[in-house]
Amino acid sequence: MAAIYSLYIINKSGGLIFYKDYGSKGRMDTNDSLRVASLWHSMHAISQQLSPTLGCSGIELLEADTFDLHCFQSLTGTKFFVVCEPGTQHMEALLKVVYELYTDYVLKNPFYEMEMPIRCELFDINLTQAIQKDRVALLGR
Amino acid sequence: MIGVGKIKQYANVLDKPLSKGKQEVSLSAFAFLFSELVQYNQTQVDNIAELERRLEDAGYAVGARVLELLCHRDKGNRRETRLLGILSFVHSTVWKVLFGKVADSLEKGTEHEDEYMISEKELLVNKFISIPKDMGTFNCGAFVAGIVRGVLDSAGFPAVVTAHFVPMEGQQRPRTTILIKFAEEVLRREASTYNRIVKR
Amino acid sequence: MAPAAPRTGEAIFASVERVNAELFTLTYGAIVRQLLTDLEEVEEVNKQLDQMGYNIGIRLIDEFLAKSNVSRCVDFKETAEVIAKVGFKMFLGVTASVTNWDAEGTCCSIVLEDNPLVDFVELPDTCQGLYYCNILSGVVRGALEMVSMKTEVTWIRDMLRGDDAYELQVKLLKQVPEEYPYKDDE
Repeated sequence: MAAIYSLYIINKSGGLIFYKDYGSKGRMDTNDSLRVASLWHSMHAISQQLSPTLGCSGIELLEADTFDLHCFQSLTGTKFFVVCEPGTQHMEALLKVVYELYTDYVLKNPFYEMEMPIRCELFDINLTQAIQKDRVALLGR
Repeated sequence: MIGVGKIKQYANVLDKPLSKGKQEVSLSAFAFLFSELVQYNQTQVDNIAELERRLEDAGYAVGARVLELLCHRDKGNRRETRLLGILSFVHSTVWKVLFGKVADSLEKGTEHEDEYMISEKELLVNKFISIPKDMGTFNCGAFVAGIVRGVLDSAGFPAVVTAHFVPMEGQQRPRTTILIKFAEEVLRREASTYNRIVKR
Repeated sequence: MAPAAPRTGEAIFASVERVNAELFTLTYGAIVRQLLTDLEEVEEVNKQLDQMGYNIGIRLIDEFLAKSNVSRCVDFKETAEVIAKVGFKMFLGVTASVTNWDAEGTCCSIVLEDNPLVDFVELPDTCQGLYYCNILSGVVRGALEMVSMKTEVTWIRDMLRGDDAYELQVKLLKQVPEEYPYKDDE
């Protein structure tokens, strides 16, 4: 069964502002997740420079043996990426949905400070619903 | 010249025809504006009680104006003189105009004679707002409580109005209750004048 | 995957949840009133409204991008068109147009056909220096800054001040895309 392992949101400076682990594989502690996010942020930026074509917007899909990584970067520099089972379908659409949930339940929250870690109950609730609706998440907890 | 003639100019704003109230903006536009209202007021206060008061005060002015607008446009300048009348007006007409629907419920308080409650599963103003744990029971619905107080006060029914989260069994999110506590003079007036004329 | 086609302002406005403009108008009025009480000086209120608009703009831009499917604009002319035709429409339901381009294509005017902020409003004599709609100039400035464009946005014509239209001037000062390595990397 196709599954989502984890979801990350990075602000435009490379700081991790949201991390959700959906499976029992690759469980990371806070420090590891911060480090990984920062590394991805740099790799993403480097990929834009490495690209032989002009106007490249960075890595969108990384396929490895044991996982796929789909990444979406908004024009404002915020990155949303998901680590999932190889071959999982509709991940770009899911990332788009997560982006819209972010614009609603994070950015419209007066108690959310820009660029800071996301701690918005409504975002969590709606994200869980979105992931469950897709029926591709393996909720290992 | 572009723009000239598109919006008709009036020498006096009072000459301009009153809008029919059908124009709309996106919910997002309102949500961003409201979020900024809350954020601005947070910078002006030291504690949550003050924040609540400032939001209520902001709502009060809206309420007073809404009453004038609706009385003139929708009620043909008829003035509500009965308690249940004004409550019904708030619960149905005011709510419909401002929030697009009538309020979920209107109830009389069971413990106190002077208390009434208007409840909503989720207030429109709270739709995208998650209250941080360290803010306790704070509710941005204080703005709506202020609107209700503004309407009631301007209509001659002074009251203390507050917004509260009420946890609901089996529901993830609490509902919001706008608690209205009428001033003594209102109840006295209700009891004296109207019970003589119409026995309920 | 091919990117989704850009949507028109009307299409987006029709598809999103909407509220009565009067709630919006009256709430904005409450904000302006609060500022006048707190700050007293009209010039300070103008600045604060612009700042509040900026705070909104830096958040609103992501929703704009998410819903409009607009891709990176080729030039500032395209940017201005998209703000006028899609931005103002999808949030405020307002039709706007772009005019008065300068020779370099870095400065233009956006003229609003309608303005829900100003219903019922008349500036009293004590507030003649007030730019009542200054929040809008801040919104445009904040939104553009988040997509790497530094701009100056000012009101050229304001009907509350006696002009015959609402006209915003948008001037592109600098286009600064952030490139790796970023300045704050060690």
